Amino acid sequence: MLLSLAIIVATSAAAGLVFNLVMPQGIGWLPAYISSPAWQKADLAQAERLLAQGAMLVDAREAGDYKLAHAGGAVNLYPGEIKLLWPLLGDILKAAPAVVVYGRYRSRWPAAQIGQYLRGQGLARVYVWDGSLAQWKAAGLPVRAPRRARP
Amino acid sequence: MRSLAELVSLACRLFLAGLFLWAAHDKVWDPATFAAAVARYDLIPLWLVNPGSVLMAWLELVLAVCLLLGLATRAAALGATGLMVFFTGLMIYAGLTGAGFDCGCFPGQAEHPAGYEAAVRDALMALPALWLLAWPGRWLSLGGSPRSRRQRLEYKL
Repeated sequence: MLLSLAIIVATSAAAGLVFNLVMPQGIGWLPAYISSPAWQKADLAQAERLLAQGAMLVDAREAGDYKLAHAGGAVNLYPGEIKLLWPLLGDILKAAPAVVVYGRYRSRWPAAQIGQYLRGQGLARVYVWDGSLAQWKAAGLPVRAPRRARP
Repeated sequence: MRSLAELVSLACRLFLAGLFLWAAHDKVWDPATFAAAVARYDLIPLWLVNPGSVLMAWLELVLAVCLLLGLATRAAALGATGLMVFFTGLMIYAGLTGAGFDCGCFPGQAEHPAGYEAAVRDALMALPALWLLAWPGRWLSLGGSPRSRRQRLEYKL
């Protein structure tokens, strides 16, 4: 029985692999915004330098996480509502000399997704900082954590 | 009594096959959407999301075909039980973390929210798979090991 189950699993894996290689809607091992990035990677020092030059900081995490705490000066632009928010923030982002995006979860990298989207919209200097808010805080950079109003 | 058990086994097989076919066809055909649904749980690392979701979708499809045709029924039932136990645990986790999004289990958005209700549903769906583990049945079945076919022949003789 276990051998039969192993054959079933192997067949599924092989069929999935072939389908995803052959069919146009197939997905690769990693999403395109990571496997063929149009954005540039930035470390913390580089991100700080860019921000000092007037770059705009974007928090790509979901709105609930942003509301709890975010890097000082960051605007919230996340994949779930990017198309809705773009008309509101597009012109502001286009006017900035550069854009630095941050935000990552275990299974998702919304910063990379937003970075790819912004490059697709014609923004030339888009940087993705692959770090957490905790790292940002540990580096002594400003964090905004609005307190809830007490009744 | 034997016929009743065979009938129940056949019903369980067809029910599970239909369920998995319904669940899998969308996931197989639109892997990017299913991968996004898997990522929402934020359980597995980024590099495992795409291959994991593809394997899951195709496993459901292959299990459905095996159950429909009665090929390696007991192994398929074991696979189905494993999947249902995994899904039940996942829905409990979703309930604990307060996830309010669609579970991504079946076609249609926001019609099947992840959480405790979905955990109960998945646990109930494991019951026919457990029945098939104990009693795979032979009616309308193409499969069976050479040994079981020999036994059937001996039984007839």
